[in-house]
Amino acid sequence: MSRPPFLQGCRIVDLSMGWAGPLATRHLADVGAEIIKVESCVRFDWFRGWEASQRWIDNHEAEKHEPFNALNRNKFDVTLDLSNPRGRDLLLDLVAISDAVIENYAGEVLPKLSLGFEVFKAVKPDIVMVSMPGFGSSGPWSTYRAYGSTTEQAAGLPHLSGHPGHPPTMVHIALGDAVAGLNGASAMLVALRHLKRTGEGQFVDLSHSECLLPLAAHGIAEQALTGTPPPRLGNRSRHCAPHGVYRCGDDRWIVIQVQCEGHWEGLRSVLGDAVAGFDGLEDRLARSEELDTAVSRWCVHQAAAEAMGSLQSAGVPAAAVVASKELMASPHLQARRFWKILDRPYIGEHPNGVAPYRLQDGPLEIGWPAPTLGQHNREILGGLLGLSDAELADLERDGIIGNRPRLPGAVGG
Amino acid sequence: MLLVEPPEGCPTRRLPPFAAGVPAPEASGMHAYLSANKRSVVCPDHTALTALARDAALVIDDRVGRERTLTQEALEKCSANGVLLSITWFGQSGPYRDYAGADGVCQALTSQIDWLGEPEGPPVIPGGYQAQMIAGVTAFVASMGQILARELGNVSGSDHLDVSVLEANLCFAEIECLRGFAGKPTRERLGVNRFRATYPLGIYPCRDGWLGVTVLTPSQWDGFCKLLGFDDLAAVDRYQQSLERLRDADKLEGRILERVARESATDLAKRGQALRVPLTIVPTMDQLFDVDQFVERGAFADVAHPDLGSLRMPTTPFRLHATPAVRGGTVAPLGAHTQVVLQEAEAAL
Repeated sequence: MSRPPFLQGCRIVDLSMGWAGPLATRHLADVGAEIIKVESCVRFDWFRGWEASQRWIDNHEAEKHEPFNALNRNKFDVTLDLSNPRGRDLLLDLVAISDAVIENYAGEVLPKLSLGFEVFKAVKPDIVMVSMPGFGSSGPWSTYRAYGSTTEQAAGLPHLSGHPGHPPTMVHIALGDAVAGLNGASAMLVALRHLKRTGEGQFVDLSHSECLLPLAAHGIAEQALTGTPPPRLGNRSRHCAPHGVYRCGDDRWIVIQVQCEGHWEGLRSVLGDAVAGFDGLEDRLARSEELDTAVSRWCVHQAAAEAMGSLQSAGVPAAAVVASKELMASPHLQARRFWKILDRPYIGEHPNGVAPYRLQDGPLEIGWPAPTLGQHNREILGGLLGLSDAELADLERDGIIGNRPRLPGAVGG
Repeated sequence: MLLVEPPEGCPTRRLPPFAAGVPAPEASGMHAYLSANKRSVVCPDHTALTALARDAALVIDDRVGRERTLTQEALEKCSANGVLLSITWFGQSGPYRDYAGADGVCQALTSQIDWLGEPEGPPVIPGGYQAQMIAGVTAFVASMGQILARELGNVSGSDHLDVSVLEANLCFAEIECLRGFAGKPTRERLGVNRFRATYPLGIYPCRDGWLGVTVLTPSQWDGFCKLLGFDDLAAVDRYQQSLERLRDADKLEGRILERVARESATDLAKRGQALRVPLTIVPTMDQLFDVDQFVERGAFADVAHPDLGSLRMPTTPFRLHATPAVRGGTVAPLGAHTQVVLQEAEAAL
């Protein structure tokens, strides 16, 4: 199978690591952009693993870590030691024949390597560079360390979820990463379009934490409109009822979110006497605790999947809460061919979710699985940059390129 | 960007919060955020809609059922090289296609809710419209890729993009699916702000607000212990491993809570970052507008609304230095541009 060629002719040097940057470039790789991922044998993508040991290296664990393998399909992978002048020069040679560079290092990392937009621009005047550190490239926090959890916290989002008696409640271990990844792809597409139309490159500065502010828009809007933030009400809503997560008879949970009178009528047609005595929205909101108890009493006599089916048949937004290990078996995702099975060295067959959108012909095909470390050194450094076999051998001997992780301080080659 | 609305206004006008808490077409704060810098058109009929769509590079339709089919038929006739993007809860195919959706429903079906809250339950529904926001950015990526592909000459003709809120939100769960497939333990509900992979990771009350903590690597754990004076914990070998700390989370939690309660969150975050530990303040909504990082970067700008006045809203989260996005803007009243836009379309015929 081959991936679609929509962005064929767009070459991007990818210095990003972890979740956000690699997700951004995966979106571009999925539609045909040529993504050249640059790692080094010592400073490899930390999503290959963050607690490396010699035993870990010997067991090829760098090639087995699911986070890396989920985020890097359809990409080419080269290793270059950027702290070595020869490795740095080769990076600049790659930049000189590319349209764009993307990176998500903490603020001070590229300057330490004597790299940055102005350096890239010197070798490729129309280069696009998307820089995506946690808090952006300017401001007093620009050098701050951040994970997806840090940026969720900094955006104030936890103040909008959870129960009033609990601390502000996070919704993910790394919410900011996936959201910044989507925005990184958006930013790159806008800048590439401008480049292709006008010949003008530019620097694009993305902040993960600012990417999360739209997710807090309802809280920000309420603060702006009324001068007070929305209260945290657990699973209840001030605007509709019933609205919650209820335990079912099979010990599973079901989400029910009645959002209009049509939904309420549908719910009433299924629950019947269980919710008799409740009427208009005002009444339901005023007696929401009582209403939740009534809905709960009905739910404990149902299996979650069956309850979801009955309620959805009546037009009520309801869903059984599924666990991540059950997603592969989702009848809806299977019918939409969401999962593709890929084959990769060291791990064999494994699933990848396709791009989260499709064309009328169906889901986008995946070209190849996540690359192994330095898998395309010969193809890119030899093929694209024209290095000879002898030069490649020298680079490998000097530890500038390679196919195997090394612990800091270990000798290359 | 033309926002084509029915006479009663598009659904975003009915999204809370509302000014004075009262729903009205010109009272929604969410509509103000989502619709700044768009022209509002109330289309009298499908002929007018077809005329508007004829030269559009992109037509976005989020309607479902019969309404969607009618729109699709009209639009497919008119766009020779354009993209029709459908954005619906569950997509255009599959057994859930016609199901009723909501943010929490999609978050339940993508397992996001399963891992939130106390182990004994109930799981927690994230606040607001987060699932839809994720789908919105996903739709932007999908449509911008198609527009660029046409301009590059890599594809021609019209096409139909199908974006589902459900699949867009799988971005949070896909790694866990691979773990499950590999027979590894997958995420489970461990408690509020408690996640598998590492500890401490959470939000702690300080004397002047909340402190966000994430400690993953051995060097970050060393820095965190140094910051809080936990020399004894830094000396425990197995605590160099994130999962070992998670195993003892209940034991460690009390010490952290007790220690940071006396401190300033702002001060701890600054000193922690100096030690390369990812700490941050967790600003409340009223503090958000004054966070120095957001102020300096212009993360908020004023949106002018004809009835609501000036509202501070988030700006585009990336800065294009050569071609900066508009900051803030104006929200159009319902149908404000109908006449002029339809005249433009007629003149173009």
